[in-house]
Amino acid sequence: MVAVLRGLRLRDLFAVLVVLVFMFPLFWWVLASFKPYTAIFSRIPNYFDFAATLDNYRVALLGASRINLEQGVGGQTGGASSYYSIPSILDSIIIAIGSTVLAVLFATLAAYALSRFPIRAKKHVVFFILAQRMMPPIAVAIPLFFIFRDIGLRDTHIGIIIAHTLINLPLATLLLKSFFDDVPRDLDESAMIDGASRFTVFWRIVLPLVRGGIAATAVLCFIFSWTEFLISLQLTTSIRTIPVKITTFVTSTGTEWGLITALGSAALVPSFIFILLVQRHLVRGLTLGSLKD
Amino acid sequence: MNKNGGTEGVTAVVAGQHGRRQFLVLPRWFTSDHPLPWLAPLFALIAAFGLYPLGYALWLTLNQRNPYTREMEWSGLDQWARALGDERMWNALMVTSIYTVVCLLVQVVLGFVIALLLDSERPGYGVLRALMTLPLVVPPAVTGLMFLLMEDAQFGVLAYYLDVVGLADPSQPILGNIYTALPGVMLADIWQWTPFMVLIILAGLRALPKEPYEAAAIDGASYLQSLWYLTLPMLGRVVAVAVLIRTIDLFRIYDYIYTMTTGGPGTATETLSFYAGREFTTANFNYASTLSLITLILLNVVCFLFIRVSRVKF
Repeated sequence: MVAVLRGLRLRDLFAVLVVLVFMFPLFWWVLASFKPYTAIFSRIPNYFDFAATLDNYRVALLGASRINLEQGVGGQTGGASSYYSIPSILDSIIIAIGSTVLAVLFATLAAYALSRFPIRAKKHVVFFILAQRMMPPIAVAIPLFFIFRDIGLRDTHIGIIIAHTLINLPLATLLLKSFFDDVPRDLDESAMIDGASRFTVFWRIVLPLVRGGIAATAVLCFIFSWTEFLISLQLTTSIRTIPVKITTFVTSTGTEWGLITALGSAALVPSFIFILLVQRHLVRGLTLGSLKD
Repeated sequence: MNKNGGTEGVTAVVAGQHGRRQFLVLPRWFTSDHPLPWLAPLFALIAAFGLYPLGYALWLTLNQRNPYTREMEWSGLDQWARALGDERMWNALMVTSIYTVVCLLVQVVLGFVIALLLDSERPGYGVLRALMTLPLVVPPAVTGLMFLLMEDAQFGVLAYYLDVVGLADPSQPILGNIYTALPGVMLADIWQWTPFMVLIILAGLRALPKEPYEAAAIDGASYLQSLWYLTLPMLGRVVAVAVLIRTIDLFRIYDYIYTMTTGGPGTATETLSFYAGREFTTANFNYASTLSLITLILLNVVCFLFIRVSRVKF
């Protein structure tokens, strides 16, 4: 311990301090989810001077009635309350998994072609795919609202899945292309000389080698869909993904901070686990694969 | 290209010898030897749900919805003329530009300093770097609420400490004052996306060659000198890519505005995207579409110029 302290330099202190500052909003958020109603609203910041409670989680995740909890009745109302969020969590899971599977599937095929075939004007094709990413979500949401209304996809899981897939495709394609580029072309060519078809080479030889890259791409697509807000807000009314559901807790009669922080904290768990798993590939993902890390 | 074509020819012959393709003769562009079947699903999706909606949005801007019959009626460039003469649009453009430029500057500078601070092989720094990535995966709508909670005038922890050090007045809520509302929203953006810059710049620092630094050290250059003359120029391209990607996201900002201020007070924090969204929810579909296309066009122009000037390559 003493040895550790002696090795400490001023720079280490600064580094820890900066990271603590960045962690504070998260800490305050999670802390608030365990506070009873009154402790959240104290003017002087209340760090640990309260009786920690799981009531907020009981109301948001288990559908308990807050009135009953406050009066000590403790009855479960099983989803009667509008704060019951399990349906929203299910909506989010369906949409995030659906759009991740679609985006990774389509992008893997396209990325392999972009990596391996001599395509004319390849640079322009890549830029065209990247340009899809520049579309402001609102510019996508307005026409899709009408198109989905006409073909019956408005307020359906499939509609949001399609929209999220579309927005994820540029990231997934460019990212996977950079992973495919890492696999030597000679491998494909020697296998093809041995009589394997293109698809066999892709399926049996190249794909197993980029499994890690595909997993990282899938995680980044999942997180995008899990956190996306505007499109879900504008294209749905009965399906509410978690970010949209949370904002409905800000009501004209007051903001349910306890429930907001409880649901918000719960929604962070999968993202945090996934992002820590794919740390290594994060930089590539965030720069759409344009930089090798 | 020649080499590749040759290889494919060989494959065809070999496959023919094994008699593999003789049951079913498909046109070449329909087999896995041609890029088309690989790319077709992607382009079909982009065409159906990317290009067609874009055309639809453009068609919307050239029409007007008759409030009585609820039918779309051709109106030519009326919507665009209205947008150009709309003071509120110019205000939104101003807010969006200020928001983008200020956030970019703060994030690049902070990101650079923090990246230098965390770029160390000493034990424990790996954990610090991992922790710095956490803000990136918080849903932006949740980040907005997070800072709304902290900036509340009555019980916000940030507002309280600002009051204690005399920087804020509790009778003037941060998000309720036209001068401080926009910085209040920017704070959420800066918290969430400075880690993005940190990560990118850290990756750039890792990839730098060692030799120039050794040469500079032999010549007696100080830390600041090698930072200014070596690190900054060599990191240029890495930072340019990060700035481009951040510009795209900043310019179409929506989530923080929606959760924190809904554009207020007045229109002090109303960005182009948010104005478009507001028009959309009040059923002015045509004008909303025009505003969103203005955002798209401006974004493309800015990005095009930036790519030209900085010579970013993908």
